[in-house]
Amino acid sequence: MTETYLNDTVINAKGTLCSRSVSYPIEASAIRKWAMAVYWPEPAPQKFMDAEYAPEDFDAFAWGPASYASLLPGDDSSVVVRHGINERALGFPEWKFRAGLNGGMNCTYGVRMHVGDVITDVKSVGEYTERQGRNGLMLITQSISTWTNQRDELVKRTINTGICY
Amino acid sequence: MNSSSAPSIPASAISRIQVGDQLQPFIRRTDFDNWNRYAAVNDEFLPHSMNDEAARREGFPKAFGMGNLQWSYVHSLLRAFIGPDGSILRVDVQFRNPNLREQTVTAHGTVTGIDGTTVSIDLWTQEDEGARLAVGKALVSLPSG
Repeated sequence: MTETYLNDTVINAKGTLCSRSVSYPIEASAIRKWAMAVYWPEPAPQKFMDAEYAPEDFDAFAWGPASYASLLPGDDSSVVVRHGINERALGFPEWKFRAGLNGGMNCTYGVRMHVGDVITDVKSVGEYTERQGRNGLMLITQSISTWTNQRDELVKRTINTGICY
Repeated sequence: MNSSSAPSIPASAISRIQVGDQLQPFIRRTDFDNWNRYAAVNDEFLPHSMNDEAARREGFPKAFGMGNLQWSYVHSLLRAFIGPDGSILRVDVQFRNPNLREQTVTAHGTVTGIDGTTVSIDLWTQEDEGARLAVGKALVSLPSG
């Protein structure tokens, strides 16, 4: 039975910059399909069918980045981590979990995303905590994702929380 | 069911909003057909959202949907409220229970504060029996007037 997940390496990693990804230019069809999937079976709002701008929840990295670079010393960037951070490259223990769940998101928005925008995502380590739950000791992870556009304007900053047990 | 008879507060101007106002709910019955569409646009083919057996191996009674899709439902709720000239400033959501297959998910919001053109909203999603699947808060800005 795991007594704790939180060793010094995990605790001291808070704030570490992990990776920088750059998206492909946002396409009108990606905005349209995203909105159709989210609003289905109702029709999506016309502004999204016309791709006036992307929904706030749109993921410009949904099908992978145009480029990805780890910012961690010694990491060759061969492992692209879309959601979260490369815990192995950070030297975290190789935990074996039965389940990994989305615990929540906290997002502050800046400017909207438009067709042709190229988004840069810089990920960093948030706070790792643990809590006893009905499935045993749970690890609560946080990764922070900061998106800017090609004009270096903030698009959004998201704190993603994961729950593992 | 994908519509509601609840009072609608779309395309809002700040002068028409009061603390306690309810946003028009955003309602979706959820099953593989929702989740497969969302997986296809978000490359999110999670086994526990694709078949019941995978979800049972993780301790759930049947397949359950993506938190990211509920996140999108909450944003759809807010977009209908703010109208074309409003902006979503901040959203904070915690997932409390899984959105199990065949549940009807309803996203709700209540206005809790107004400061200038900025409106605070309590958010939640719930399933058919009323259990809350996600809870949170949002901050939006509305056009003056």
